[in-house]
Amino acid sequence: MGGYSMPANQLIPHFLTDLPPLNKRLSGNAGSSRIIYLHNLATKTIHNKGTPTDKALYFHSHTSEMSTAARPPSLRLGQQDLKCRSGCGFYGTPQNEGLCSMCFREKFNDKQRKLKQKAGETGPGSSTSVATLDRRSPQHAHLQGKVEQQVRKSLDKEQDHLGTLQKKKFTAVLQKTLQAGAQKITQQRSHVPDPTEGQFLLQLRQLRIPDDGKRKLKLEIQRLDSDIRKYMNGNGGKNINELSDLVQNAYTKVSDIVHNDPSFEIATNEDRDSAIDFFEKVVMTQNHKFLFSPYFTTDEDSDVKVQKRIRQLSWITAKHLDCSIDEVNSEARDLVYNAISELVGIDSYYSPQEKLQCTWRCCRHIFELLKRATGGPASADDFLPALIFVVLKANPVRLHSNINFVTRFTNASRVMSGESGYYFTNLCSAIAFIENLNGESLGISSEEFEALMSGQQPYSTPWESALLACESLHLISENMKRMEMLQKRNALISSGITSFEKELIDFQREVTERVDTVIAKAPLNLLPIKTPAFLIGQARAHLLSEGEAGHYQANMLHGGSLTSQSLTAVGGLAKPTAASEDTGLTLKDTSMSSMGRLSPLQQNVQPADNLFASPIFNYTAFDAVSLLEEPVSEANTDVLMLGSEFQGGLTNINYDFDLSDQSGENSTADESKLNLDEFDPLAQKSSAVQPPPPLPETSLLDSTTDSLIDSEVPATAVLLPSPLKPEVSNYRGFSNFDIPSISCNTGDFSSLGHDGADAPK
Amino acid sequence: MSSSRTRNGPTLNFKAVLLGEGCVGKTSLVLRYMEDRFNAQHLSTLQASFVTRKLSLEDGRRAQLNIWDTAGQERFHALGPIYYRGSDGALLVYDITDRDSFQKVKSWVRELRQMRGTEIALIIVGNKTDLEEQRSVTHDEALPYARTVGAQYVETSAKENEGVAELFDLLTHLMLEQLSQRQPDASPLRLQTSDTDTFNNSEDSEAPDPGDPAGQRSCCGI
Repeated sequence: MGGYSMPANQLIPHFLTDLPPLNKRLSGNAGSSRIIYLHNLATKTIHNKGTPTDKALYFHSHTSEMSTAARPPSLRLGQQDLKCRSGCGFYGTPQNEGLCSMCFREKFNDKQRKLKQKAGETGPGSSTSVATLDRRSPQHAHLQGKVEQQVRKSLDKEQDHLGTLQKKKFTAVLQKTLQAGAQKITQQRSHVPDPTEGQFLLQLRQLRIPDDGKRKLKLEIQRLDSDIRKYMNGNGGKNINELSDLVQNAYTKVSDIVHNDPSFEIATNEDRDSAIDFFEKVVMTQNHKFLFSPYFTTDEDSDVKVQKRIRQLSWITAKHLDCSIDEVNSEARDLVYNAISELVGIDSYYSPQEKLQCTWRCCRHIFELLKRATGGPASADDFLPALIFVVLKANPVRLHSNINFVTRFTNASRVMSGESGYYFTNLCSAIAFIENLNGESLGISSEEFEALMSGQQPYSTPWESALLACESLHLISENMKRMEMLQKRNALISSGITSFEKELIDFQREVTERVDTVIAKAPLNLLPIKTPAFLIGQARAHLLSEGEAGHYQANMLHGGSLTSQSLTAVGGLAKPTAASEDTGLTLKDTSMSSMGRLSPLQQNVQPADNLFASPIFNYTAFDAVSLLEEPVSEANTDVLMLGSEFQGGLTNINYDFDLSDQSGENSTADESKLNLDEFDPLAQKSSAVQPPPPLPETSLLDSTTDSLIDSEVPATAVLLPSPLKPEVSNYRGFSNFDIPSISCNTGDFSSLGHDGADAPK
Repeated sequence: MSSSRTRNGPTLNFKAVLLGEGCVGKTSLVLRYMEDRFNAQHLSTLQASFVTRKLSLEDGRRAQLNIWDTAGQERFHALGPIYYRGSDGALLVYDITDRDSFQKVKSWVRELRQMRGTEIALIIVGNKTDLEEQRSVTHDEALPYARTVGAQYVETSAKENEGVAELFDLLTHLMLEQLSQRQPDASPLRLQTSDTDTFNNSEDSEAPDPGDPAGQRSCCGI
């Protein structure tokens, strides 16, 4: 029973892969009946635990062990598969047809009772298999009991060896898993004919040999099948060599038949070979359960021994073996992994041929590896150490069982010749080498060897550390990459930020510069110079004389002042429009509207010249006054030029003031749509440009603006009246369209005036 | 039927192992042999530790020659039996410039004779004749030794391709001979049935001078 102390993780993959079983009469298998027996013990303990939670815990502990222990991920069972099919939340077991024990008992009580009657004291698992057996070969049924007893005897004996409780626990796991496999086999068989059987029949039909030959082949298969079964179920002492001879003789016989029987006469050599292969494959697959690691051999013990040994030898490196595997190279490592997975996969195949093929693939990977390492076809000198290394790193399950199964039951010629035979032989020698390994063969002292074997001297293998390091290095490099990317991005962002900052600074500077220039120009606002002051007096005098309070009225009264009034009105309108909306449309609209109003006044344009002074001050009173005064004070002709020049300059300035105007005055600005953009100094242009389209004169204004700016500063007093005149001219030219320009001018002047007015205030 | 059986009879499977210390040129011999006959396409194989060649014997039968290379390192010496088990012939290769390798051959011979008796054909191969000036094992020493242990002796140069083809022809011939001697109690893997007559034929033609390598070449269809 020592064999069962093998860790569960090494058994489970096998059990899983063994699930689709190919041998038919499982119940006859002593191995499986032993399992069944153990299973009964296990189920008893489970049921004794009583509460469902206990059971669930029990199952859980084992199932989790199973799933985590299973090494090849592909063979892992999902949690979902382990749950009870009825959905009660507990774990189901394959022997309960996927149900948990409670559900199974409920649903299948009757059926089970029937089965129990049939099978006597044996459990449900074996009872079904007995039923199967009955159906198939009645003569074996009576053997079953005897075999079982015998097995139990041997089991009891073995169990004495099981000292510790822990070992028993292991057995419990094992029995459960193996039992599960066995049960599933019988289950499958009960519903449908064994799929592999059908497959074999199909293959048999496809063999390119005469029908007569096929019939003979089938007969031979059946004969050997029953011979093996008979031997396994027999009472006499069993010897694996006898069994092996039995099979080998059958092979010889079949090959004899295939090569010499008249019914095969027309077949080609290849077809004959494939017929022999087929024979071997069918028999071996169907009897795998019997022949693989039979209970009367010590295969399992050897498996455990070699497994343990390999585990002890985990410190061995490629260097110890003088093999040219570069453990650090990732490409090489991948190939080693491939080889390892093939090697581990040997256990999952049934027929010796397939196992040999697996070995072949494994060795191919190794050769590929060596070819890359050495640059040429590898010789045995390189190959064997590499294979040993791979075996050591793979630590395949049931190594000896598999090797023995192949050597005993494959066609002897297969392992004696052919490429896979060669590889298999190498595998055998690799194992032999591992088992007899000593310090000398590794090139180290025996003391060091002992120390390493006992684990006293820790040996950090490049392999392990490379794996670890690679894992972390991989992470590191990945993180480095990410960091690099982030850094790049960061640099990009920071450069963007700096450029943006520069732009901002530039912009700020520009703005301040502009503002400064504008402010520098603004002082022109000498407006406060209050040239108006005397005007005011005059205007007031005029107003008083006229007795008019509102400038409109004053204008109106003056007759010619109509225009001035209109102009002021326009100025009032235009100022906000110019300030708030530089967009041509709005301006136009307002100007148009104002024009509409103004249009009648245009005829009186000329007198309006004088009137213009008033809008400058923005105050109705001043306006009125200015209207009266201006013509008097200014020389029309002189001012005309200046005024037109001034207009442009003023318009520019105007906007700045407009801002303040809006905030300060509001009244008119509110009417127009607010558009902050317009306050932008940049918008000036548009506003400045805007008027020109309708009017050719505006172009004049534009051209003058530049020069005006220069000239503006000194003669503000003179300038004030000037706008009036160009406007006059404008009006003359284009009655309707002039207005915008006028409005601007007026606005400017008014704003200037306003500013000036503010200052004194 | 018997004639057709003779023509299409089962392929004879021969297995020969290459034994000898490391670096004596076992692999080179095999590579040279395969390259010479089959050129690059077969040399492009992944590995040189196992090679197989199909031969047509002059009597119309076909044979497959499997040559198993073995690791020559001393540490693997104990694994020898696993390889030469079931083999029909063994090439015991040594380096004529290396006396130790010759001693090694002697130990192999002892072991083989002990384990396999006379059922295995032995050929002692002195390789690297291109290094004649460094020779430390003379022809006069090796040949008598081979005679005393019932082995053939051949000198080759894998580098210069001298005697390589002859070596393998001789090997094939010897193994055929062994097979025919074992005929009555052939092992299961020998598909001996109905081949007896052809065997006699081959024996007739090739038995006369087994000792002379040159005389053996005829046994392989080329």
